[in-house]
Parts: sequence; structure tokens; C-alpha cells
Amino acid sequence: MSETPAMKRLDHRLPERFVPTINYDLCRVCRRCVNDCSYQALEFLESRVVPSGGCVACGRCIAVCPANCIEIRPVPPQFAPHGNWSERSRRSILAQASSGGVLLSSCGADDEHPAIFDDLLLDAAQVTNPSIDPLREPVETVTYLGRRPGKLEVRDGKVMIREDDTPLIRMNMPLMFGHISLGSISYNAQKALFMAAKELNIVAGSGEGGLHPDFYQYADRICSEVASGRFGIKPEYLKGVAAVEIKIGQGAKPGHGGHLPGEKVTTMISETRMIPLGTDALSPYPHHDIYSIEDLAQLISVLKESTEYRLPVGVKIAAVHNVGAIASGLVRAGADFLTVDGYKGGTGAAPRVIRDHAGLPVEVAIAAVDRRLTQEGLRNRVTVCAGGGIRSSADMIKALALGADVVMVSTSALVAMGCRVCQQCHRGLCSWGIATQRDDLTNRLDPNVAAARIVRLFNAWNEELKEVLGAMGIDSVESLVGNRDRLRYRGPNPKIAEVMNVKHIGEGWG
Amino acid sequence: MIDRTGREVRTDRLGMPVQAENYTASRPPNWQGQLGGCGIASCISLKGERINGDRIARMLTIMEERENGLGAGYACYGLFPDRRDQYCLQFFFDDEEGKRNAENFLDGRLDIVHDEKVFTRDRSTISPPYPIVWRYFANVPGHREWRGDRDLGEEDYMVEMVQHVNEKIPKAFCVSSGKDMAVFKGNGYSYEIAELYDLGRYSGTMWLSHSRFPTNSPAWWAGAHPLSLLDWGVCHNGEITSYGVNRKLVEMNGYKCTVLTDTEVVTYLWDLLVRRNGLPVEVAAFVMAPSTFQEISQMPAAERRLAEWLRITYKEAFLNGPFSIIVGRSQPEIALIALADRKKLRPMIAGLSPDDGVAYCASEESAIRIVEPDARTWAPGAGNPFIAVAGKGVVRKGIEPSFQGVSL
Repeated sequence: MSETPAMKRLDHRLPERFVPTINYDLCRVCRRCVNDCSYQALEFLESRVVPSGGCVACGRCIAVCPANCIEIRPVPPQFAPHGNWSERSRRSILAQASSGGVLLSSCGADDEHPAIFDDLLLDAAQVTNPSIDPLREPVETVTYLGRRPGKLEVRDGKVMIREDDTPLIRMNMPLMFGHISLGSISYNAQKALFMAAKELNIVAGSGEGGLHPDFYQYADRICSEVASGRFGIKPEYLKGVAAVEIKIGQGAKPGHGGHLPGEKVTTMISETRMIPLGTDALSPYPHHDIYSIEDLAQLISVLKESTEYRLPVGVKIAAVHNVGAIASGLVRAGADFLTVDGYKGGTGAAPRVIRDHAGLPVEVAIAAVDRRLTQEGLRNRVTVCAGGGIRSSADMIKALALGADVVMVSTSALVAMGCRVCQQCHRGLCSWGIATQRDDLTNRLDPNVAAARIVRLFNAWNEELKEVLGAMGIDSVESLVGNRDRLRYRGPNPKIAEVMNVKHIGEGWG
Repeated sequence: MIDRTGREVRTDRLGMPVQAENYTASRPPNWQGQLGGCGIASCISLKGERINGDRIARMLTIMEERENGLGAGYACYGLFPDRRDQYCLQFFFDDEEGKRNAENFLDGRLDIVHDEKVFTRDRSTISPPYPIVWRYFANVPGHREWRGDRDLGEEDYMVEMVQHVNEKIPKAFCVSSGKDMAVFKGNGYSYEIAELYDLGRYSGTMWLSHSRFPTNSPAWWAGAHPLSLLDWGVCHNGEITSYGVNRKLVEMNGYKCTVLTDTEVVTYLWDLLVRRNGLPVEVAAFVMAPSTFQEISQMPAAERRLAEWLRITYKEAFLNGPFSIIVGRSQPEIALIALADRKKLRPMIAGLSPDDGVAYCASEESAIRIVEPDARTWAPGAGNPFIAVAGKGVVRKGIEPSFQGVSL
């Protein structure tokens, strides 16, 4: 089979999805938009700026235009309407017929299945219990992450505390940043996350990209990830950090490994990950020393042993159909905390078929894990973290009420620093300097400014959490965790409510 | 007003009809628990003398605004001096069949040494049906498996038995199962319940009582307060906003929720924390109504460490939302515990008779003054337990620092 290049270009070119449109009455022809567009979707032609194709709606041009004269317009459907053959499906086929490869995408699943979070309504206090104004009275959000003893021994009337057995991390709010590696995001972006985590007094995941020596100063707020590639694992990576987390899976690509293309493996990345310059960084799909639960137990022991039992050691899994039973296995294998990542969770690059079609919504997964661990009498011994598509404080609050102790957020932190969720992370051209390693692009992101924005966002979420707790007549967040009585389901499918053990709207308890 | 069946319609204080479908031992269909306000009152003889039931009835009935005729109850401790070491199981039966069901189940599982009908008046203003109220005195046989590989104590065996009856045995409900105590409760105004059981015929060292203002029906005799398991008796005014969380903890520890109210869970929490985990009462009270982390950070080092670890370990036992509770127990000694939530969103007042002979706790001062006009009264603090022990006196007034007297 042979194709002439010219034919290929013309016959199989896909219609544009977005077009930057310039109001020439206002344009000052400063060409900042042209210079800033890392996707080269704008060019200067003769005397004016014109679109040149390939716009991804990252919005950078709009932000840098001093005349405020650019508008990105979605291109109306260019395909004959068909109820079954959506534009999306036809575009995928055309693209795949051209490339012959696995279609890649990034960020979380972008299908239009509504989040179950949006089908849940919160309760509030009226008359029979009073609501609480968090500006007048204390409402607490302090959260601990790690293994809990289940009960305290009492000897001769004295309560015995053996704190060395159960290292715990104290955080100011029930929130942690998910694992985003150096490599998938830039030095400046990761620095901003770590600075924000320190300021907020919460924990940030390192991702599987090692830890840059410049970031050792934030180590006491960093959860180091041990994933199947074992990148960057050295004594400094495990000592002095807040916690260690074994990554089994990621919500965006359950059952899948990681892939950082060689062109992104710069000198800095190669040194931090301890891999040769310019080589692909491939994380295997499974850990090649974990083929069963007892192997996992051994790795947990190894990590606890090598960190002298000073750190909580957790395990992160993608939310899959049997998540409850797997979670129980993790606790029995010795995990001090579990992280459950739902299928809408973000990624820097994933096969679209897995991103969009595998896994479980995090809402259902949290309820399943909470219920299973409760049934087995294990729930009060571990911390359950959960994330994957948490877009707002409302999502966070509902995740807590469904049964998560700590809510993991990633994409929303990136959005706070500039990300517009254009889903091009895998191309390494991020015009905001976040998901790229190109120096000219990464320099666009000021870590101080980005960190301040993240801090403001999550402080605001925490205030909103307190407002909701107060309205529910709850003055400390632990009394919300797993309190599914305070949720009601209003969605289209009552079976979902049933499996989540949440009552339907209209069902009271008195 | 006359209803369709020709009976006088019951009305509340404001003349509103009270529609009470009435259930006795059997749980009403679709029962989902009850909520609402309540009145609670209690008294304990610090010298170990006996107090007549008329006294507690006067205390409770004076708080008229706190009830609407849909449930009231009393618990008496130090009631059976001659049978102090036997468990007293007091039952509600819907009918004779319920009684047979329960007796068939208990046969061989407990050594019943004596049983008797609990006196109830034949006629009352309370809407029928009434349950058959029966009382069994029993010892736990020594040969059961719990003594062997299951390593259960006698009390654990008793808990399993009672919970099994309440969950599985039709038409029967065990309302109290402790030593030297019994519960008298039902679906009516506090004065009606006192009359129905003729409380004046009983005297005991300590009394707890409860009247309720539920915002829903139906009414269930067995669901009225005090709720009791073993010798624990709990009267509760409040609504626990953390119920779902607390319930998980007790269920994880093997308790079966049959009444589906927050008070039931509070009862099991006391049993779990104090009897099974062995926490001192002051410490268990801290677990249920803890100080804030801000307050904890200002405690001396040893207290701070204990407080932090209690909050971390027992966060599912933290009772959030408004409550004031009165808790009684007879083992190892007759004791009265009173506790309000950590913001004190429900009332609780304590009092002491001029001769220091009797201590009181109640929702309203009126309840104390009606029987002890010259009592010295004070308000225990938010989340601060009041503890009085028969034969010892008031060991904690509820105004002391959190862990005073606790070995650290």
C-alpha cells in the first residue's frame, strides 16, 4: 500500500475544531498572540494576524492580547448529522486511519456522562438541630493521614499511647494534591504545587518522577510515589518526606503504565529520574515484583523497613469494578492509607480507549470501599483518600460524605495556575508552561504567582467546606466522613443510589 | 373530637390531634427512627438510700413543654437488692405468642431463676394496644462456648442474646437487661407512663427519666427512652448529626442497630468505650464530646498527647450535633453520668440537695426545684461530664479540666 503525501494531506485532513477569530478593528498587530501560540495556530501574514489551523482552544492568545480582540470560536459541526455516528467517533476513525496508532489523549475522560456528584444533594440542619456559623464558632477541618490504632489499650486506668507504631501526618484540611510527576509537568509547575502544599499544610504527591534536589526543602509535605518504573528512588526520596505511596494504578488509565517520551527527557529530567538522557521513560504496566497481594505486602514491608517505620506507607489503585475487595486486601497487606482514583481522573498522556472506557466513577468507588472496609471491621484503621474528577468544593464535600477521609485533587490545582483543560498535555507544547519541558514555555509560569493562586483556591474550598459543615450542624469534618445519611440522590438511576447506600430524595428518616 | 372508630382523638397541649399508630414490641413497618426534642431528668442518692418513684415522676412531668404524649420512660437502679447479682431481663411482648417465642429462645441459653409479670394498670388514658410486660431474673450458665475459644465475657454473651432477640424474635423486645435495674417506658405522656406502671410501688438508689416531643409518628413502645443494654441506660435529648458515622463504629464492633435511633448508638458507644475498651468514664466522655484542636494545642504536654490520640483513634465515636444525655449504670457501682455536646446546644443543669444526700441532673431547673426547692444548682460545661456515684458522692461536677483525675 502506498499513498502519495499530497493525497494524504488533502483527502484526510480533518476539519478544524476551533478558530481564533480576530477583531481587526481593535487589533494593534503587536503579534504577541503569534509569538505565544505554541501550537502555531496563528501566523502573521502580510499585514495582519490570521489563523493558521490547529487551534486547541488553550486560550493563551486571549490572555496575552493587550487589545482584547481575540475570541476562540468552536467550529460548528462539519459532519452530516447522525444520531449514532457522532462527530467525535468519525474524527477518531479518520485520525486513527491516518496514524495507525493508539490514540492518545490527556486530562480526564471527557465523555459526557454526568458526574454522579451532580446527582447528589446535601442535607442541612433545621429546627431539630441547629446550624452553626463557622465565622462565630469553631468548625474544624484538621485531618490526619495514616494508619490508626483502632482502639487504645488501657492498663490500670491509664490509656497507653504507642505513637511510634502509627506515624500520622497532620493536615489543615481534608485535601491532598495528587501525583503529578516532574516530566509530566514542568519544574515551575511542580515547584508551585509543593510551595502551595507547604503553605496550606497539606500533602502533595511527587508523581513517579523522582524528587529534584531543589525540592528537598518541601520534603515534609511531599508524598513520594513508588511506581512500577522505580524512577528516582534513592535515600533522599524516601527519607524526610511525609509519606510513601506505592502506585498500582491511576484512574485515567487503570491497568496501564506510564510513558514519558524521550524528547521530554531533558538533562534535568534524566538526572531526577536517574535514567539516560533522551530515552523513553517507560513504567511497566504491573510492578514486576508484584504479581499478587503477598508481593505487595512484601514491598510495603520493604518500604516501612527502609524508612524505619517513621512514615505512613500507602497504596494507590485505580477504581475498578472489584475495588471494595481490593481495598480490603491492601489494608490487610499493611497499607496505612489507600488512595482510590476514579475514572475521570487526569493524566498527562493515556490511550483514549482506556481513559474513556475503563474503571469506575469515584463516587461509587468511595462508597464501595467505605462499606467493604466497615463490614470487615477495618475502616477505623486506615485513611481512605479518593480523587479523580474533583472539580469543586461541592465535589470534595460529597466525596467526604460518601466515605473518603481525604480528597485528592490535581487538575483543579493545575487550572488554578493557568491550565484551561485543552487536553494536549501529551504533546508537550503547553502554552501555559505547565505540561511541557520547553524552556521558553516553562519560563512563562511564575511559581510564586501560581502557588499563591493555588493557596487561595483551596483556602476558599476549605471555607466552603466549613460553611456546609456548619449548615449541616456538624462542627468537625470527621463527623461528615462516610455520613451518607446526609446525602440524597436525585439522578436518573435509583440503582446507583442503592449501590452507594444513599437514600433517594424524598426519603427522610423520621 | 371522635375518630372513625368512635374513640376520643388524642390531642397535645395545644389541641393538635396526635395520630399515633401504636406499636408495642414489634418494630413498626418502614420504621426509620425518630427525631425531636426531649426532656430528661435524673436523681441519685449519694448515700445509697432508696428514692421513691413518685419523686422522679414529679421531676419529669413538670417539664410539660418538652413532651407531646408520644413517648416517655423511666429507669430505676438499685431496684432489686435481693437479686442484685442476677440479670433482670424486662420484655415487651405484643401478645402471648411473643412471650412463647422469647421463652423458647431463652430456654437453655439462660438459667431463669424467677419470672413475673410487671405490674401495669388495666386501664389508662394511653391509646391501646398495650404490650405484655414481663420480667425474668436469670444467671448466665457457665458451660457455653463463650468461655472457651471465643473468649467472650458473660456480658458479651448477654449482649449477643439480647440483640438476637430484638433483631430476630417476632413480637418480643427486650427493653432492659442489666443487673439490679429495670426500664419502665411506653407511648404516652410522662404522667401516663408513671401511672401505668404505678411507679410509686418502686424505690431505688437512682432514677433516670425521659419524655419526648417527636416530630413524627408512628409511636413504638420499645423505641421510647431510656434505651438500655446490660446495665447501661441512656436518656437523650438531641439529634446526633454524625449518626451515620457513629453507627458504623458500633456495627464494626458487632452491635446490631435495631431501634435505629441515635440514642441506641450512644448506648452502644458507652458499652464499647467503657466496658469493652476499658476507657475511664471521663476519657470516654472526652471521646464523645472532644475539645477542639485549638483547645488541645493549649493543654499541658501529657494531656495534649492523650487528647490528640483520642481524637485520632476514636473519631467515629465523636458525637456531633446538639445533645444532652443522662447515662446510668449499676456495675461496678451505681453511677450517674451526664454529658452535653461540646457546644452545649442542649440544656443540662445539675443540682445537689442541701444535705448533700441526693444529686440531680435535668433539662430544666424546674425539674430539680419541684422536688428539692433549696437545691444548689449549677450548669455543667460544654462537653464536660458530671459524674455521681452512689456511696461516694459527686465525683465530678462537670466544671473541671478535661482529664482531671485521669492517670496520664
